[in-house]
Amino acid sequence: MAAAAVVVLALVETVNAVVAPLRAPDERDWKSATATVRAGFRTGDLIVAAPPWADPVMRQQLGDLVPLPVAGRMDAARYGRVWEISQRGARAPETAAGSLAQSSKHRALTVRLWEKKAAQVTFDFLSEWRRAELSVASPSGDTPCAVSADRFVCMGGASLKPELLEIDTTLRNGLALDPVERATVVMTYSSVPLGRELAVAGGLHNVWLRKAGDGKVHLRVLVDGREVGALDGTNQGGWASRRFDTSAWAGRVASVRFEITVDKAASRHFGFAAEARNP
Amino acid sequence: MSDGPSEKKASYIRREWLLPLVLAILTCSWMLAVEGRQGIGRDESQYFRASERYWGWLESAWTNLRQGHPARAFSRGAVDGAFEDNHEHPALMKMLFGVSWRLFHTCDCTGAKRGLHPIAVTTKHVTLPLFKRESTAFRFPAILLAGLGVALVYWLARRLLRPLPAAVAAVLSVAQPHYFFHAQISCFDVPITIMAVLVAFAYYKSLRSARWGILCGVFWGLALATKHNAWLFPFFLGVHYLWIRRRDFRRLRPPRVPLAFVSMATLGPLVLFIAWPWLWHAPVARTRGWFERHMQHEHYNFEYLGRNWNLPPKDASLKLLRVSFPFVSMLFAVPVTTLALAAAGTIVLVRRRRSQEEQILVEDTPTEPRASWLRPGADVDLSPGVFLALQIAGPIAIVALPSTPIFGGVKHFLPAMPFLCVVGGAGAAWLLACARKLIVAPRLSRLSRLLPPALAGLLCLPAVAETVRSHPDGLGHYNLLAGGFAGGASLGMNRQFWGYSALPLLPWMVQHRPASNRIYWHDVLHDALTMYMRDGRLPIGIGDVGVGEQVLQNSELGIVILEKHFTVYEGLAWQAYGTTQPSAVYTHEGVPFVVAYERHATPPPPPPPSETFAP
Repeated sequence: MAAAAVVVLALVETVNAVVAPLRAPDERDWKSATATVRAGFRTGDLIVAAPPWADPVMRQQLGDLVPLPVAGRMDAARYGRVWEISQRGARAPETAAGSLAQSSKHRALTVRLWEKKAAQVTFDFLSEWRRAELSVASPSGDTPCAVSADRFVCMGGASLKPELLEIDTTLRNGLALDPVERATVVMTYSSVPLGRELAVAGGLHNVWLRKAGDGKVHLRVLVDGREVGALDGTNQGGWASRRFDTSAWAGRVASVRFEITVDKAASRHFGFAAEARNP
Repeated sequence: MSDGPSEKKASYIRREWLLPLVLAILTCSWMLAVEGRQGIGRDESQYFRASERYWGWLESAWTNLRQGHPARAFSRGAVDGAFEDNHEHPALMKMLFGVSWRLFHTCDCTGAKRGLHPIAVTTKHVTLPLFKRESTAFRFPAILLAGLGVALVYWLARRLLRPLPAAVAAVLSVAQPHYFFHAQISCFDVPITIMAVLVAFAYYKSLRSARWGILCGVFWGLALATKHNAWLFPFFLGVHYLWIRRRDFRRLRPPRVPLAFVSMATLGPLVLFIAWPWLWHAPVARTRGWFERHMQHEHYNFEYLGRNWNLPPKDASLKLLRVSFPFVSMLFAVPVTTLALAAAGTIVLVRRRRSQEEQILVEDTPTEPRASWLRPGADVDLSPGVFLALQIAGPIAIVALPSTPIFGGVKHFLPAMPFLCVVGGAGAAWLLACARKLIVAPRLSRLSRLLPPALAGLLCLPAVAETVRSHPDGLGHYNLLAGGFAGGASLGMNRQFWGYSALPLLPWMVQHRPASNRIYWHDVLHDALTMYMRDGRLPIGIGDVGVGEQVLQNSELGIVILEKHFTVYEGLAWQAYGTTQPSAVYTHEGVPFVVAYERHATPPPPPPPSETFAP
């Protein structure tokens, strides 16, 4: 019995070795799937590959519809329509809670259009970074930072600017800074139109810096002076994503303050993004 | 009617020499037929350079000897001048690569390619031009050694198996995608694996033969001169020796130090010293430096189960996950049938007495009533199962330690693989024995001659098919359990390293070469580009803006090798070229390995002067 099982295994493995390569998606499958997506694509749609390792192949076909702000998105909450090009039965996490609106097979690929309730973003802290004020608070007092064409510049060399970051080996658009030891970098947005939640995500940029340093970056989020939540940027923490309840301020305007501290600043380049929104 | 002596001799030659020779020739032919599809990695490109420089020293030594100035060639300046290059690894294989290149390349070295050599080329080389590509001439010794390795596995397996299952073991040892990847290139991972088998074989034979005891020391010296993995071999063999002599401890009489270990302790370092000129002028300091380099080796980035590993883990859960690395990698990287045969072979070896009675394993009995230090295993059972288990478990245990770097993936415990395949051969022997029982039935007797070889072939077929399928991306291939290339990628298993995979994109890169010639090659070292030029795969003078994060913006065409930790470079490409859309992607079974980006628009103007105003 066991001997027969080994023989059957040998046959199955051999057949699989021959057949499996033929079942992998090829150029024709991608062209066909791409045509379907292009035919139905609307501005504001999100296109994703599942499994995520197929993303470069998807972008080769549809990269013009996945510009940098979309490719480096904080999350998929703001997208109501998500096109998923899937293989091997995989499902992209961006489609969670979506309902299937359309599906078509393209040999080894499946194109699915998922529809879900899009979060209504009332304020994007990343794109509105120029509306903020930045300062460095230390025991010797608060030092305001200056804003240049592309960044805030602070005394002592600290700076903050929008960047494309590699956090947890994924590319993210975020506001990036080198935190300062024994001081708090304070970023304040006044008059922010808030929704029911404040989504904040952050983490440590650059694989080499994560290898070189071991400090922890702490981000506190305060609305009208009241702390609504916090997150930490650590070597293993990845892209830490949090949703803070702001229903008490929903539909109102408030001041939002981000306070960033670090225990050991060496090789720490912290990036974060935030959106005020109604989920 | 019994066979006559001449027929017996012919049968012996067929069995013990012709069969392994055929297997070795087939292995070399297979590799030579396909090696040209495999690109050049960072390490290999540096070994090409060092090999040619080492050849340069050999050539100058010969010239100086002929001119009656031997001291010149052996001066510290002359020796160190050549052997300082890549001195973190011993020189034996690189010298063989260099000699092979000099003997077998097709020389067009005095033309436009003259300047691409690391040593001066004064005249056209007179060679036996076996190979069109220079890289093949460099790779030839590794390929020959891989062929020898197959024969060695056969001979080792013959210690306990009949010819057919021994042949299965030999085929399985080379028909593994990851092993095959490493076997055909000018690197040391398969050569040191072959050396592990050679030393182990010599040690095993030395237990009953003094001649092999002496040879064992020579072979260990050659192993030391191949790669530092050899440091560990005596420990794995030593434990086996203590095991077979365990009765001596019970009698409170410690076993004698066997000739093999005496030979290793004396001849080993001597052979290393002779074969590695870097040691000649400062043997102690440089041997210490060699040890320190590898005992404190950096943890390069490596993807395993979706995580990027580049430091020893600190958390307990991560340590546990890290310990699983060689076991899970083996489970997913080795063809499943080979694993199943190894599992069956383990049972066969555990029940060895019964297996011998059932003629699954060949008998092996003590040859003399008393042991001597020349034949220290003559009076005891050699415990082949324990011997194989130790050679398999040793390298795996070292790699399982969370403090050991894993950046080479399977290659870090490759020396375990041939022994695993010998165990697999024992599994095949069991299966063949089952088949023999089946064909006892008279109506099936005609099959008696055909079925065993057919079955042996069938057992090898999946491994061969998977290896063919994997080429030239054996590093990214995972087995049926994992789901092949795509399954491995979904599991977050390492796909590749050191930039070898750019080769299939080279024609496209040449076709899209920008007028500015500013090309970013990411992880493909300049030495690799040079060899691609020498091989005629890239035009001489093709641009290379260099390495590092900053230079990418200076380029107009660039590639990014898709490894988890290289994501940062893809981000830089997006920003530099203003697009997220690759112009070309190299895939294997739909799994991407390399992307190429082009700058379509004029580069953005530099940012305005850093005029600032207060918020």
